[in-house]
Amino acid sequence: MAKQTGENNVGAYLSALQRRTFLRNAGYGLGATAAYSLGLGRAMAGSASGAWKGVVSQPHFPVRAKRVIHLCMAGAPSQFESFDWKPALKKLHGQPFPASLTKGQQLAQLQNTTLRAMGSFVNFKRWGQSGQEISELFPHIGGIADDIAIVRSMYTEQINHDPAHAFMNAGSILKGRPSMGSWMLYGLGSEADDLPGFVVMVSLGRQGDQPISSRQWSSGFLPSRFQGIQFQSKGDAVHFAGSPAGVTEDDQARVIETVRNLDRLSHQTRLDPEIATRVSQYEMAARMQTSVPELTNFANEPKHVLQSYGITRPGDGSFASNCLMARRLAERGVRFIQLYHRAWDHHSNLTRDMPTAAKQTDQASAALINDLKQRGMLDDTLVIWGGEFGRTPMAQGDGRDHHIKAFSLWLAGGGIKGGVTHGETDELGYDTLPDKRVAVRDLHATMLKLCGIDHKRLTFPYQGLDQKLTGVEEAHVVQALLK
Amino acid sequence: MTTRPRSKVTPNDAAGICRVACNRIQTNIALAMCRQTLALGLLWAAVLFAPCVAMGAPPDDVPRFNRDIRPILSDKCFFCHGPDSAKRKAGLRLDVRDAALKDEAIVPGKPEASELWKRINATDVDDVMPPPDVHKALKPEEITLLRRWIEAGAEYEPHWAYVPLTRPRVPAKAKSAIDAFIQDRLAKAKLAPSPAADRRTLLRRLSLDLTGLPPTPEQLRAFEADKTPNAVERQIDRLLRSPHYGERMAVPWLDVVRFADTVGYHGDQNQNVFPYRDYVVNAFNTNKRFDQFTLEQVAGDLLPRPTEKQRVASAFNRLNMVTREGGAQPGEYLAKYMADRVRAIGTAWLGSTIGCAQCHDHKYDPINAQDFYSMGAFFSDIREWGVYADYPYTPNPDLKGVGNEDPFAPEIMVRNAFLVERAKVLQQRLADTQKQLVRQTMEAKRSAFNAWLANTRTFIKQHPDGWLPLSPTVAAEGKLEARVENQIVVLHNTKKLDAWDVPGVSATITNLQGPLASLRLDLIPHSEHNGSHLRSDRTQARVYFSAKIVRGDSEIKLAFDAAQANVAAPVFRNGHQLPDNKEEWRTPPGYARDRVSAVWQLAQPQELQPTDKLVIRVGSESVGAFTLSMSPLASTGARHAPPPFGNDDGLPDPNRLPSATARFVANTTNTQALQEVFAFSGAAAAAAPELLTQLHQQRRQWLSVKDGKAPLVVTVPQKPRVTRILPRGNWQDESGPIVTPAVLHFLPGLPPTATAHGRRPTRLDLARWLTSRENPLTARAFMNRLWKQFFGTGLSAVLDDLGGQGEPPSHPELLDWLAVEFIESGWDVKHMVKLLVMSNTYQQDSTARPELMAVDPLNRLLARQSQRRLDAEFVRDNALFIAGLLNEQRGGPSVFPYQPEGYYDNIEFPQRKYITETDEQQFRRGLYMHWQRTFLHPMLANFDAPSREECTADRPLSNTPQQALTLLNDPTFVQAAQSLAVRLLRAHVSDDSQRIKLGFELATGHPPSGDQAQALLAHLRAQQAHYEAHAQDAAKAAGPVLPLGATTATTAAWSSVCRVLLNVYETVTRI
Repeated sequence: MAKQTGENNVGAYLSALQRRTFLRNAGYGLGATAAYSLGLGRAMAGSASGAWKGVVSQPHFPVRAKRVIHLCMAGAPSQFESFDWKPALKKLHGQPFPASLTKGQQLAQLQNTTLRAMGSFVNFKRWGQSGQEISELFPHIGGIADDIAIVRSMYTEQINHDPAHAFMNAGSILKGRPSMGSWMLYGLGSEADDLPGFVVMVSLGRQGDQPISSRQWSSGFLPSRFQGIQFQSKGDAVHFAGSPAGVTEDDQARVIETVRNLDRLSHQTRLDPEIATRVSQYEMAARMQTSVPELTNFANEPKHVLQSYGITRPGDGSFASNCLMARRLAERGVRFIQLYHRAWDHHSNLTRDMPTAAKQTDQASAALINDLKQRGMLDDTLVIWGGEFGRTPMAQGDGRDHHIKAFSLWLAGGGIKGGVTHGETDELGYDTLPDKRVAVRDLHATMLKLCGIDHKRLTFPYQGLDQKLTGVEEAHVVQALLK
Repeated sequence: MTTRPRSKVTPNDAAGICRVACNRIQTNIALAMCRQTLALGLLWAAVLFAPCVAMGAPPDDVPRFNRDIRPILSDKCFFCHGPDSAKRKAGLRLDVRDAALKDEAIVPGKPEASELWKRINATDVDDVMPPPDVHKALKPEEITLLRRWIEAGAEYEPHWAYVPLTRPRVPAKAKSAIDAFIQDRLAKAKLAPSPAADRRTLLRRLSLDLTGLPPTPEQLRAFEADKTPNAVERQIDRLLRSPHYGERMAVPWLDVVRFADTVGYHGDQNQNVFPYRDYVVNAFNTNKRFDQFTLEQVAGDLLPRPTEKQRVASAFNRLNMVTREGGAQPGEYLAKYMADRVRAIGTAWLGSTIGCAQCHDHKYDPINAQDFYSMGAFFSDIREWGVYADYPYTPNPDLKGVGNEDPFAPEIMVRNAFLVERAKVLQQRLADTQKQLVRQTMEAKRSAFNAWLANTRTFIKQHPDGWLPLSPTVAAEGKLEARVENQIVVLHNTKKLDAWDVPGVSATITNLQGPLASLRLDLIPHSEHNGSHLRSDRTQARVYFSAKIVRGDSEIKLAFDAAQANVAAPVFRNGHQLPDNKEEWRTPPGYARDRVSAVWQLAQPQELQPTDKLVIRVGSESVGAFTLSMSPLASTGARHAPPPFGNDDGLPDPNRLPSATARFVANTTNTQALQEVFAFSGAAAAAAPELLTQLHQQRRQWLSVKDGKAPLVVTVPQKPRVTRILPRGNWQDESGPIVTPAVLHFLPGLPPTATAHGRRPTRLDLARWLTSRENPLTARAFMNRLWKQFFGTGLSAVLDDLGGQGEPPSHPELLDWLAVEFIESGWDVKHMVKLLVMSNTYQQDSTARPELMAVDPLNRLLARQSQRRLDAEFVRDNALFIAGLLNEQRGGPSVFPYQPEGYYDNIEFPQRKYITETDEQQFRRGLYMHWQRTFLHPMLANFDAPSREECTADRPLSNTPQQALTLLNDPTFVQAAQSLAVRLLRAHVSDDSQRIKLGFELATGHPPSGDQAQALLAHLRAQQAHYEAHAQDAAKAAGPVLPLGATTATTAAWSSVCRVLLNVYETVTRI
């Protein structure tokens, strides 16, 4: 019996290798040897198109979400002007902030300063049948209140943008850790065989200037084929996806065909399985060169759809345009889509800049939900909207500083219960109240669960540990958010 | 039941292959699923079972602890029953034999009496081990192994990597010990090595492995024809002497020490660090002993009277990521920097995952938290700051006024060989351009010269200092007020200005006529400001100077090519000091009561017309009183020319311009010199504007390198900070004990002298310990990495973890032999490299043999060489070399080759603009490309180069469509193809077949087969026909150069062929 287990794995690999040798089955991205060494034989095998099928062969749970769209509000929006209504804070506005709450706590730029309370400068309303409280800066999101679940009790560990981005994306501040999109792709593979399975876009034309890093969509220690591919707002959407000047589609096809022919000839004599993989990569590259222009051509989107997102010039790189692109990517089977809007770091001028940032994102975020819903895709698409941490209930001049003890975000679709608000903060919004606190790793565990994955079982051995997105500390699925 | 392995392999019988598995495979597959080591993954299952199969290992072969048992216990048990005392469950520890025997967890010889045996076989979920919820279930064959091991007496072995190094006996008499060890193992597996690779393959392999560049066809032919007995060795010696050897060897070292041009956190600003890279290249080229190399990097600054090179090496300690993000706490980041350095020592020298012990004792290795922080304490004397800025929330007097544009102190200026050479080249270029400028100006404007000279001399009579004082009317912006006296006085204003607000005063001058080449600003002390030239409480001037000409309804914005002041503080842009004051002029404190001057020179001199209005804006939040003047004269170009007005750099010099102007133009009879002045002055405006622009660019390039020195971040020692053990790694928790520098407690320690009389050990002691004879890890880790470089996989495939969760070496005796040889050779790297490449094992053919693919698919037994795709930098170098484009210069500032537009758009503080190289620097080697940690160049990233945020011992080796798109469409590779096409079309060969043969040989090192040649010829014909029918496409595809006698269509078609050549497997693979 011992023998059976061992033999079958090796045998399966070796026969797969032989198939590959005859070019009948070429996976893409990982070399054959690598695939085997990673124990990924199954994921590589049995796919005519060569698309990656993921290491999770049998979902651990029912699959509620087939894909994830993460609307990443970089710089960290204020919860007090969006999703966490604090009347008591407003009453205390301008008064000293209770030292009992802040004593001994890590602050960022407010360190060593006098702390004053700062109430919300906007009003909140109850929206929809559920009566969720959302600020007036987000009327369109208010309009989808019954579809979204608001979490008011998020907390994180990192008080500066750079490590907090890393923590939100990869569950760790150590560099070289895979981002959640990479984990998803590694676990579930992609349904698209002519587009990358993990796509990232960053808005142009925003106010504000929160820098981001490509490590936020890096595959870290996972194979680089799982890294997010950033679609550019200028030039070719995908780097090097446009043919050189004077090279027509036919020319390019001929070049690729000759390369593949020569590689096949090499393979006959050299028997290196990497060559077979390579032949299929050139095929995939050719498909991407045609599919990307088709994807980015919005001509067939009806006017009313463009209007619903608030798109003035399709493909202009605005957040609105990127939201529509996200839907198009989702339709084409892309597994994980991340849109960055770098406009939220309001240390000062909150009353001027927060409404601007809200206006840039509110309508399109809501339109995306409605659009997905109308196409019957919201049921199996998980949308997450939020920043990397929150803002202080204390004033920093006319803005708010970084805050890690409490912040808000929302989720929709993909098995999320709409119209609920989960968790709460103390009456001044400084800290989350016990019981319903949600750690970043809990958010990750919940996301994976909706995608059918037990977060404890999606692992990769690295530096001696079976690494997980949720890290070494205990993580909990937030059941209350699930349908 | 144990399984009896078959002793014979039937290669083509998949079922037979299945059956060869012995019962260790499964265990080892699990273990072998190691980390990011992609391509070579790991399958050392095959390695282990193949020999035990083929050599017919006896069925009662006793399980060996290190080989068979430790991997199981480590992965499944040590997490709770290992070295970490804090997390140890039930007080039971299985990593130490005495502890395991004490409570009868293991009873040697008696599985049934052993608690371990009972627990792993328990059926009750509460009793069974490992607990089901950890998802670490033992496999049946693992259970069997454990039983057999206990039955045989449960003997332990010390971990292989920590055992002292002794030189193992070489198994047979052989010329090469390496071959002896490898062949011994192959013989036991009943496998024969492969024949030697053919000469062409061998030379290409050696060239790529030792220099990162392919051989030329001439070298290949010569080597093929060389029948002398030492032909191979002579090639190896030649390559080891090549200056490109150091460049090739530097790449993995730069990965493992995380060398990059930017700081990595948040704004990811530039850091001045390239001279360290050049030090590494030179160290390999001069074959610096590895112990000395270690000493200089870790502690070069502590050596007695360190040389400049040793101080350069000490930049190693500054290669960690650092931040200047607003809101970051210095204490937190100092803790991060320390941890980063400990990880670096762990990865680069010890091959150990010490980083795990930052928060807790290591789960699998005997490294505890005390080890981690004691190692960190070695680095507590490095002068540095947690946050490299002076923020109000954490004021930092050391960094007063330091902002996002400033460099990362401490820095020193160091001489750089590249820059010295570069300065010579640029100066010559500048001289040539200047000559050309004068020639063209005279050709176009000779008739105007005499009038110009007369007018200018008249002007000088009226204005002996060369300057015309200007009498403007003024308008002040925003909250400022100003009035005109003899000078312009900006009134003291008590209204508070925003920190970022730079208000200005605009001066308008009318009734001017004639040439305008230079403008001048003098700051004048004034009684309005109590004898200061600054307003209010300001101590330094900061000036943004701009000017325009209003001509009717249109405006001519005046651009400047240079500016110089007699008093100036350095101004930085993203870490680099600006060569002059053109963009911004700052004065240092202490000059407010002096008259100070600055001169701006127009990029294109102008001819003012009587109706023009000249408007000059002086933007400044501090200036209190000033005058303005203009001059029809400008500085000439470069140092070699007579510098009548400028300083030695050819910059306009406010101190010289006045008197020198007058004297020179008034008195000289040197016509040539006067012509030069003419060419730069307003009267000759527009005679050769492009040349003038080019000259200005060249001058700025030259200015940036003129003295051959560059700034560099270095280690500067100071009084050590207190280092505490941080409980759970929490930097705010000061309850942990204080530690002093110490090395890993379970290894041979520092010599007694290091701690005698209460002496605190230093980084010197650490460096010497790293390369001491007693340290078992450094030589093993280095040789394991070196092995990977030449054979594709380390002897232990897990390069960065020689610990319990790593992989026991496939050939442990060989690794130890190499490690001892390395030490005893005097840490001689070239000696070791030569040993590796001289071996038959290295020189074998790499073609996969079907029977080997069956038993050893990952080639761990090395019955053949491995074929490997080139690493990112060498993919680039190889293509450029083949195309004849490669610029083989060495060292110097990192370069900026083509990169997709907007790629840095998401970097801020400051915003980044990528300025592509405009000259031959475009085609430098990949090693010299600018390494931006947050956004690594897409070509490098696509071919698996690491971002170097963390130390990387092993690059993954992926195979993706992005790579295909890069080779097909990246402008670098497109230009390389066009250039190769030109090269082929210019070659003296008889026909297209010969041309294809040459191209293929250039690209792959050998002539094409008949089928290969046929495919390329067919491609050529198809593209030729296409381009003949599509002239417009052909013009674009052909590129900028048409070889003599070739049509556009032909050139375009050959470019297409060459794109194919640069894309094929054999070109990008070292075979």
